[in-house]
Amino acid sequence: MSQNDVPDTEAQTNAGGETRSDPDDSLVRTDVRATGSTGHGGSNETVVETRDLDVYYGDERAIDDVSMEIPEHQVTALIGPSGCGKSTFLRCVNRMNDLIDVARVEGTITLRGTDIYDSDVDPVALRRKVGMVFQKPNPFPKSIRDNVAYGLEVQGRDVTEDRIEESLRAAALWEEVKDQLDESGLALSGGQQQRLCIARAIAPDPEIVLMDEPTSALDPVAASKIEDLIDELVEDYTVVIVTHNMQQAARISDKTAVFLTGGELVEFDDTTTVFENPDDDRVEDYITGKFG
Amino acid sequence: MARVEYQEQLDDLRRNVVAMGDTVIDRYDAALRALETKDESLAEDVIDGDEEINERYLDLESDCIDLFALQQPVASDLRFVASSFKIITDLERIGDLSVNLAEYTIAAERERYPEIDLIHIGTETGGMLMEAMDAYEAGDPELASEVAERDDEIDHLCSAASDAVVEDLIRTDYGDEADEVMDDVSRLLLTVRDLERVGDHAVNICARTVYMIDSDAGLIY
Repeated sequence: MSQNDVPDTEAQTNAGGETRSDPDDSLVRTDVRATGSTGHGGSNETVVETRDLDVYYGDERAIDDVSMEIPEHQVTALIGPSGCGKSTFLRCVNRMNDLIDVARVEGTITLRGTDIYDSDVDPVALRRKVGMVFQKPNPFPKSIRDNVAYGLEVQGRDVTEDRIEESLRAAALWEEVKDQLDESGLALSGGQQQRLCIARAIAPDPEIVLMDEPTSALDPVAASKIEDLIDELVEDYTVVIVTHNMQQAARISDKTAVFLTGGELVEFDDTTTVFENPDDDRVEDYITGKFG
Repeated sequence: MARVEYQEQLDDLRRNVVAMGDTVIDRYDAALRALETKDESLAEDVIDGDEEINERYLDLESDCIDLFALQQPVASDLRFVASSFKIITDLERIGDLSVNLAEYTIAAERERYPEIDLIHIGTETGGMLMEAMDAYEAGDPELASEVAERDDEIDHLCSAASDAVVEDLIRTDYGDEADEVMDDVSRLLLTVRDLERVGDHAVNICARTVYMIDSDAGLIY
């Protein structure tokens, strides 16, 4: 099975569906290292680091020896042609690939220095720290309140009206839904549903929000609201986004990682550098549309 | 190759900027020739021809804006379109300066300071302009850098010309002719400055060419 064949619905259900243990705050250590970065004014600290990462689906290599450091409180965009492994990379960061039998991960991924594939790490605890938003809005068939409450419950936090409001405000949705919290999340527009999913993802107060093409199913106005929201979210979270829209990557990200076919990370640099003066000729050819 | 129409638009832009450069160089040469031979008819042609340069400028500005808005160029394409967008402004200004030169040819009735060789200065700056456009067309940052370095010599020639005029004004009592002399001197000094500005615009073209190819903005600032 290639990474493109991963059934989203299964992954989404399992992403928050496991309830096996209490929050594991020990997952996150305080030791951090500096790395160069620009943009949203993050602290230049590395929050996620991969070293020599290889991912296989059976015999097929989807990620090829990827090493990169993702800075905190910045937006890192992953771009590249279909099948290049960017979504696979994203799924590795919160161990979604554990849910795929044939997937095999080699190398290391650390979250603030802790190897997230260590046998002691609880993937459910990890996913509280690393939330995820998917391409297609996938609110639960429950009320708006219950969708957000779910995000709080998996964290083991008390579900209070204040916390629900806080999450919905952080997702720039509160003003639009405050009078209809008991109505179904499925009754919202596509853009509102996606912001509801973001509210659910950030309710457990994660460190990182992974976004897999979060606006590709939305119209331009709804997409621009999500982009504005990402700009606000990065004040409190680290955002890693997969997008096929290169203009979107250029608009909203501080760092851009370019993957090319075969799962190779060809270039990872400040977004302005990648889009104005890329180092690698293959990146130049890809982003200018000369191939891809 | 993907995005065939886009690539054709980029090729068209390069070709049309080079063509505009050829026209501007022709007009500048004509203005210098008119000054040298005191050919007022040729000077009038230069003045009349400026409208064509302005129209070309507006057409190419529109082409660049369309490329930005519709094709969203990035990387080397972005630098090429952005540089071309700036270079056509320099070319349009050189067209205006050629008009100034032509107007000076018509207005200057006396050769007040024959030792000031405007033609020599103008020929030197014209050479810079031509090679700057050659560098742009060929994407040759080394040539562009070499041309830009020659601007110091132009500045020196212009400064020496201005100093000679000012020293003469200090030394000489023109009596009843003073007003007339001041009119002539003002025109002459403005013309010297215009020639020096042509050199500056040539340097700008070189700077944008270096940025376009090497992403090095060092010459721009």
